[in-house]
Formats: sequence, C-alpha cells, structure tokens
Amino acid sequence: MTILVGYVPSPLGEAALRAAIEQARLRGEEVLVLNTSRGDAYVDPRLAGEPDLDRVVRELVAAGVPHEIRQLVRGRDAAEEIVELATTTDVSLVVIGVRHRTPVGKLIMGSTAQEILLRAPCPVLAVKAD
Amino acid sequence: MDSLSALLDGFGHVLTPMNLLIALLGVTIGTAVGVLPGIGPAMTVALLLPVTHGMEPAQALILFAGIFYGGMYGGSTTSILLNTPGESSSVVTAIEGNKMAKAGRAAQALATAAIGSFVAGTIATLLLVLVAPPVVSFAVSLGAPDYFAVMLLAFVAVTAVLGASRIRGFASLLLGLVIGVIGIDQTGQQRLTLGLPQLADGIDVVVVAVGIFAVGEALWIAARLRRRAGEVIPVGQPWMGRQDWRRSWKPWLRGTALGFPFGAVPAGGAEIPTFLSYVTEKKLSRHPEEFGRGAIEGVAGPEAANNASAAGTLVPMLALGLPTNATAAVMLAGFQQYGIQPGPLLFTRESALVWTLIASLFVGNLMLLVLNLPLAPAWARLLRIPRPYLYAGIVFFASMGAYAVNAQPFDLFLLLTLGLLGFGMRRFGLPILPLVVGVILGPRAELQGRRALQLSGGELHGLVGGWVSWLVYAVIVVVLAWPLLARFVVRPLRERSVTA
Amino acid sequence: MTGASTRPDRDGDPPSRPPGVPEIPAQPGPTPAGEPLDAVPPGAGPSAGEARPDRAQYAVCVFLAVLGALVLVDAGRIGQALNAADPIGPKPVPMLLGALLLVVAAVYAVDVYRGGAGEPEGGEDVDLSSPIDWRTVLLLIAAFVVNAVLIEPLGWVISGALLFWGSAFALGNRHHVRNLVIAVALSLITFYAFAIGLGVNLPAGVLQGIL
Repeated sequence: MTILVGYVPSPLGEAALRAAIEQARLRGEEVLVLNTSRGDAYVDPRLAGEPDLDRVVRELVAAGVPHEIRQLVRGRDAAEEIVELATTTDVSLVVIGVRHRTPVGKLIMGSTAQEILLRAPCPVLAVKAD
Repeated sequence: MDSLSALLDGFGHVLTPMNLLIALLGVTIGTAVGVLPGIGPAMTVALLLPVTHGMEPAQALILFAGIFYGGMYGGSTTSILLNTPGESSSVVTAIEGNKMAKAGRAAQALATAAIGSFVAGTIATLLLVLVAPPVVSFAVSLGAPDYFAVMLLAFVAVTAVLGASRIRGFASLLLGLVIGVIGIDQTGQQRLTLGLPQLADGIDVVVVAVGIFAVGEALWIAARLRRRAGEVIPVGQPWMGRQDWRRSWKPWLRGTALGFPFGAVPAGGAEIPTFLSYVTEKKLSRHPEEFGRGAIEGVAGPEAANNASAAGTLVPMLALGLPTNATAAVMLAGFQQYGIQPGPLLFTRESALVWTLIASLFVGNLMLLVLNLPLAPAWARLLRIPRPYLYAGIVFFASMGAYAVNAQPFDLFLLLTLGLLGFGMRRFGLPILPLVVGVILGPRAELQGRRALQLSGGELHGLVGGWVSWLVYAVIVVVLAWPLLARFVVRPLRERSVTA
Repeated sequence: MTGASTRPDRDGDPPSRPPGVPEIPAQPGPTPAGEPLDAVPPGAGPSAGEARPDRAQYAVCVFLAVLGALVLVDAGRIGQALNAADPIGPKPVPMLLGALLLVVAAVYAVDVYRGGAGEPEGGEDVDLSSPIDWRTVLLLIAAFVVNAVLIEPLGWVISGALLFWGSAFALGNRHHVRNLVIAVALSLITFYAFAIGLGVNLPAGVLQGIL
C-alpha cells in the first residue's frame, strides 16, 4: 500500500510532505510524491524545480521511508491527476495541503482540495501550513 | 543644424503630460509583449491600429514606437531568465544570458542587457537623426522610375534574402500583391471585387495585418499548443560590478555599430547583426573560455546590436517609406490609416510629426531603462498567464479591432479568411513578411510604375530612369544571386561557430 | 494535444533525475472526456513527420494556380480605359500578377516533386512534433463565427464575452466560471474604454441603454 502526497514547492506542500512521511512510518507504507502542473503557462510556481526535488528526496531518505517521485505535465488539473492515480494504483491514503478560500474565490478559482476530498476513492488527510 | 532645432521642437511636443503618459503606456505594453513568447511587437501594433483610430496621429505613433522599442527590451528578460527568447532577435542573448543566470549572475546579465540596450538605442537614434535627413534630401530628387526600382528592390529583398525557400517567398509576395490589387482602381474599374460592394474600397491594410499576424498566429498555435512549464531563475535587483562595466562597454559600442546598418538595409533585420556581434565578441574576448558558460560580453554585444538595428529600421521607414521588418510594415500601415503618405516627402510635409516621433524614441528609451532595471522580476511574473488566456485574448482583440475599422460584420469574415490564409502559410512554411510588404507597397509600386510609363507613353524603357535605377537594378541582381553566396560562404561559417 | 512525461523537458536538456529516484514509466492513463490526448509518445513525433513526403503541399500549388486563373479572368473582364494620362491602365498589373502566380505554382509543384518541403513555422508555443489538433482549430473558428454573427444583434459585450469564453474553452481551459468572469470583465472594460472612451465603433446591441 502507498501513501500519495500532492506536493507543491511551498510551506503548504512541505507540511503535506511531512505529514505523509509521518503516516508512512506509522503504517509502514511507502510514499508516492506527486508534483503536477497543467503546463498551461510558461512558468508555473507550483512545478517543483531540481533543488526542490532534491530537498524532497533528502527528507525522504533521512526519514528512511521507501519512496517514489513523479512529476506530470500533461495539461490536466492537479485534482484530476491525484484522483486518477489514487484510483488506478494501490493507494491507502491521499495527503494534501489546504488553505482558506473565500466563497467568491472558490467560485472563481475552483477548489482543488474540494475536488480531491469528494472524489478520491480512499481517505484523504488535509494538512494546513504551519 | 536644421534637424537639431526640429528635434528640439519634437522634444517640446513629447514633453507634455499626455504624450509622456502615452509613451509610458507604449513602452509598458511593449515590454509586456516582448516578455511573452507568444506575442510580438508586430502583432501588438496590428491589434492596436484600429483602436487608435480616434487618437492624434502623433500620439498613436508615440505609442507604436514605444511598443517597438519595448519589445526589444522585454525579449531579453525572457531569454535570460527562462532560456525562452521572447523574440527571434533575442535568440543569441539566450545563449550566454541563460548560462549566466544559471551560474547565479542573472542580475548582471539583466543589467548589461538593459543598460546596453539603452546605450545602443540612444546612439542609434542619434545616428537616425544624422542619417535620415541626407537620405531624404537625396530621395526627393528621385523620379518615378527610381522609386519603382527601389520598391522592386524591397520586394526582392524581403522575398529572396529572408526565409529558407525563395519560391515560397515569391508565392507569399504574389498573394500580398493580389490582395493589394483588390478594389476600385484610380480609373474607376473594379478589380477582383467579386461583385461585393464591401470590397470596392479594397481590403483595409489593418484587417490584413490583424488577420495574418494575430488570427493566423493564434490558429496556428492553437493547432499545436505546447504544454510545458519552466521555472524562472530567481533574481534580485539587476546590478553590475566594476568588472562587469569594464567588460561590457566595448561590446555595447561594437554591437551598436553592427546593428544599425543591418537594420537600415532592406531585409537586414536583427538576427544577422546579433549573431555577428556574438561571434565578434567571442573572437575579441580575453576570456574566450567563458563563452558557452555565461560570458557577459555575449549578452552585452548582441543586446546592443538588437536595439541598434531596431533604430536602423526606422531610417528606410521614415525616409523612404520602405518597411524592412514586420513591425515597421505594420507601423507604415498605421501611417496610411491616418492618410499620411509615407515616403521622402514625409519629412517636409509632416515635419512636426516625424520629429515628435524621433524625440519620443529618446524619451521611451530612457523610460525603458527605468522600467526594466528595477522591475525585471515583476515582468517575469507575466509568464504565469496560462496560454489559453493569452491566445483567447488575441482572438478577442483581433475581432474587436477588425469590426471597429468599418463597423461591419463582413470584416470579421474577411478577418477569418485572412486568418486561415495565415494559418495555411505557417503550416506550409510560406513566410509572412513578403505578403504584408506586398499589400503595403504593391499599390504604391503600381502607382509609381504607371507614372513612369506615362512619361514614356507606355514604352517599357520608361521604367529605367537615371543612374539610381540602374544601380538599384544591379543590386537586385546581386540580391537574387545572394542565396548562392549564402550557401557557400555564410552558412558554413554560422554552423562552425554555433557548434563551437 | 499533450504528451505524457514523467519530467517536463526543460531547456531541451535530457531530463535528469534526483539521486535515489527510480525511473518511472510515463503514465498514459485514460483520457478524460472532452480532453483529447493524441497518441504520440514524446520524442516519436518528428521522425514520423519527416518520413513521408508532404503531399498536402500540392494543394498550395493548386490554390496558387486557381488564384492565378481567377486573377487573369478578372483582369480580362476589365475594359481597357486608355487615355493620354494613363497609357497602361488598370489591366496589365493584374495580368502580370496572374501570369506570375501560374508560373510560381508550376515552379512550386516542381520543387515539391523534387522533395522540397516548407518548414512549418516554429515558435516557443508551437510543438511541431505533435500533429495538427483540428478539434481545437475548429472550436476556435466556431467561437469566431458565433461572435461575427451575434455582434450586431446582441452587441459587443455579450458576443465578445462569448468569444473569449469560447476561445479559452477551445484552447483547453476548463475553469468555466472563472473564464466567464474574466470574459465579461474584459468585454465590459473594452466596451467602456474603447467604444465610449476612444469612440471606437462597437455595437451596444440589446444592452443599448443599459450600458
């Protein structure tokens, strides 16, 4: 069984990663880190760069958790990618970071977290940035 | 110094709050479109032509000039920070500039690009002030046959020199000339109007420019939209140390010297001088081993060449009414929109307008330095705009502009037809510039040709006038033979230095 | 429209992985409805395109030849209005252009027959390795035509918003509500700024009197 974590290079993403590592050690499972972008814009701050990924790997190695990292850029929303991965592979828990959005903001921007919470086939752990 | 006092008058016109605001708007838009890889200055000016219809001609030209110069600055920012040249003229900048940024010297690369652009832009604009009036006074003495020959040269130059395939260039030129023929001739005869009353006045150059540049480009990109995201290299305030200044100032001056003449020659463009500047700096550098790993000279020289060639482009445009690149072609369409006939008489008939435009170049250049030095990181944030919004926005503004020209939905269908033509040309590798030059210069060439033949009573020898036309015809022959020279001399040279 | 990859291709360098990460195969995955995923594995595109000659180029020759014939026929229809002030009249130029078009069409055809191929125009946003995505192009044209038809009856604010929204949809953006907000804001801003501010001709349509 695998714990899937949606990672973005930000305090929110780091918090989600730490929570996923903690859960993996408790349950004795491995961590699948997913970083994804639609690739719509020339630059996407949510796409992890080389230094970010190196840091993620160091953290995972230090914690001694078996892990895998995937980066997907194929024109699809993060929610779609996470739900699909959770459905097609043997995922026991999805870990995501959440933050506050006003109702109007949610209407305009949509909510990735809400999509995942409602559509994921397994339990979802929602973490806030510290 | 007659032109100096005229220039001072021009500054007087520019330095009003309203015109300064328009110049600021122009350089801001220009930098933004320069930064965004999908949209260039030619397309932007084309999109703005219809909405500036109600403005004063001088103000519209100040705006366009700002966009023209701004685009050159913005392109370098993306080249350096993203390794994505915003414009074809900043391809060379990306070679060393991005390497510098990766080595943690993004601030110095941006600074030498911005300051170099300013130095080159200012010197080259001064050269424009010095060179244009003599060219004009010479051009005024020319007769109809000479003009006809010069325009033929412009056709041949944009068709045969640029682009990989001459036959495709000529196909594009002929398409443009045919579009230019549409409408009621001066004798009252309908030509190619297909009986449509909306075509009686011909196809508005604005609709052609918007259709080919904006709609055609948007359709073409939509068909093969790339999905990829990069990362911007974080950068603080651009600055340069003493050592950087010492290594930059000579490349700036050499780049200017290379860029200006190439810009002024028909079909010279910015690609060749930026490339030549790169090769020169590599050869002259005391640190040749740094080239390929982020040498500051390799950013300073090409960036200066790039901006100097932009100013050089304005010499034939203002003095002769000849466009040598896409942006200049669209700006000439802007002149025609205001009923201003481009050509040598422009300097005498519209003296105030021309000098205001030139003065605005100096002002805009200074504004660009101020905008770009501290704000480079902010400009890079523009790259977060999702591509669908960018291209949806282009289609949106193109439709708005094309409708606004004559307030008839017919123009929107015409725009779509031209957009599909532009799409097909991009698909089959037909260059765009010859078509646009054909549309703009075609009718004028026909007029001059007919005028020349009128003097000779219809005999063909009327097309050959004084020594100027002989000289120009000789140059045309050389230009037509140029691809052979290019194949055996220039291309092997280029390949060698790119691979090195 | 997209190729799946485990790592985005940056700077054209071969993707490098952080140490200790095993190579993960690309995830093709099922395609969600309304989001065509062309079956082109990354890297396989260009070679497939170059292998066969581009026969569609003959269509360009035909187009040029037909246009040339049309120009000649139209020029033949022009009556010769000769007078002393204009000895050549409006006829010779289109005649010359029509003839040149026929010549260029023929030379073009010979060039294509000999294996000449125009290089499709590249660009930062153009992925030449993927095939042409006709669905996106047709949707974009549809959005364009809807605007052209509706601009006078409904007015620019409504038709322009539909145009932007439809174009963003065609280009693959699925944030419908956000897109609508942007589209309406954009068409309102342009209407007020250009039609009312700068006096550009834009119809108010059914919203006449409200705006």
